[in-house]
Amino acid sequence: MMRVVYAIVLIAGIAAVVADHLASPSSARAVSPEDFAGACAPCGAPCPSVQKKS
Amino acid sequence: MTTIAVTPAAELPRRDWPFLIAAVLGTAVLVALVWLDGQPASAALILGGFALGIAFLKSEFSFTAAWRRFLVNGEAGGLIGALLLIAVAATVIVPVAALAPGFGGAIAPIGPSLIVGAFVFGIGMQLANGCGSGTLYTAGGGSGRMLITLALFIVGSVIGSLHLPAFLALGGIDPVLASNYFGAWGGLAVTLASIAIAAGLIAAIAKARGANFKPRPLILVGAIAIGLLSIAVFLAGHHPWSVTFGFTVWGAKLAALAGYDFSHAEFWQWPGPKRALAASILSDTSSLTNLGMILGAMAAAAAAKPFARTAWPPLPSLLAAAIGGLLMGWGARIGFGCNIGAFVGGVASGSLHGWIWFAAALAGCAIGIRLRPLFGLSRE
Repeated sequence: MMRVVYAIVLIAGIAAVVADHLASPSSARAVSPEDFAGACAPCGAPCPSVQKKS
Repeated sequence: MTTIAVTPAAELPRRDWPFLIAAVLGTAVLVALVWLDGQPASAALILGGFALGIAFLKSEFSFTAAWRRFLVNGEAGGLIGALLLIAVAATVIVPVAALAPGFGGAIAPIGPSLIVGAFVFGIGMQLANGCGSGTLYTAGGGSGRMLITLALFIVGSVIGSLHLPAFLALGGIDPVLASNYFGAWGGLAVTLASIAIAAGLIAAIAKARGANFKPRPLILVGAIAIGLLSIAVFLAGHHPWSVTFGFTVWGAKLAALAGYDFSHAEFWQWPGPKRALAASILSDTSSLTNLGMILGAMAAAAAAKPFARTAWPPLPSLLAAAIGGLLMGWGARIGFGCNIGAFVGGVASGSLHGWIWFAAALAGCAIGIRLRPLFGLSRE
């Protein structure tokens, strides 16, 4: 039973990733939120000093 | 009368070809997609993740079990091994992040959000029996229990994304980065010194409790291998290896597909998350290494023995897996990452938040360990 679950999850997962990739824009290179201006954390959260000013 | 021959477990083929081939084929498909898009660095991230999955599985490298052994018995070999991994990664991450344009370390503000998030994550990782990387390689390695953890991890991280702005509003200070105060090489010296001091303290505690503090040879090899692979991921992605943002994106995309509107959620209006939600999953660095790691662990597990042939654990254990995953997902989003993104990435970048995350998560682990028997799990 666990093997069946894994097979379903694996096939569905790869299919979902491929479908998402083909249906979405992709950039020149892979990025993380830290690449964007103003990011103060890996998730892209702004710095406290910026938040206080705004 | 028809008889059906059942192959005893002892006679099952040693190599599980269907899952081994599936894992390799799946990886090849993902690599081909990004290669066709002209993104060799993305291909490197997938393959780096694949190698990390193998390294973690083969060395049985576990932050969660190592922290539990230290807290319960004082046994510090695994914890010292983790510090060695971080030291290896830091030798490149600190100076390159400080000197090379386009590269950056893992930083995060210091405040209630970091402490609360890390503490809750620590509780969750002991209930789930795995942290961020542990969830990836054990789920990939055939543990159905960890598939449940992974699913709830994803759910928890999306919920956390909706709560993070409120936690940030509680206040905090901007990131404290060693290289900002001491320069690239001074920052590296301070970072390595802090790791050495931590290792010394941990070893002293282990000795005082009559426990071992020397990592087993397999852990030493694993620590060095994972440290080197962390460097490779950093050089390919321009930022330290991270895990949990990928989960947040996966969950948000599924929620958006189901009709949830994120246009009013402050987190998803920040430039990075907004772009990640709109763009391909294969444009997000942490998603690339996550997918590679799951498939690498699957390939390594299937190459060694029949894959996913164990029975499902009892219901209380599955409940712990689910609750643990939910807490880890929420905690990682609020606390700016997991063991990999916040602890390994933060400390290896020379960021003070990495050590604060570690202390808060370790405190959370102490609570999580006490809760384990409620779900039929041992405290050791």
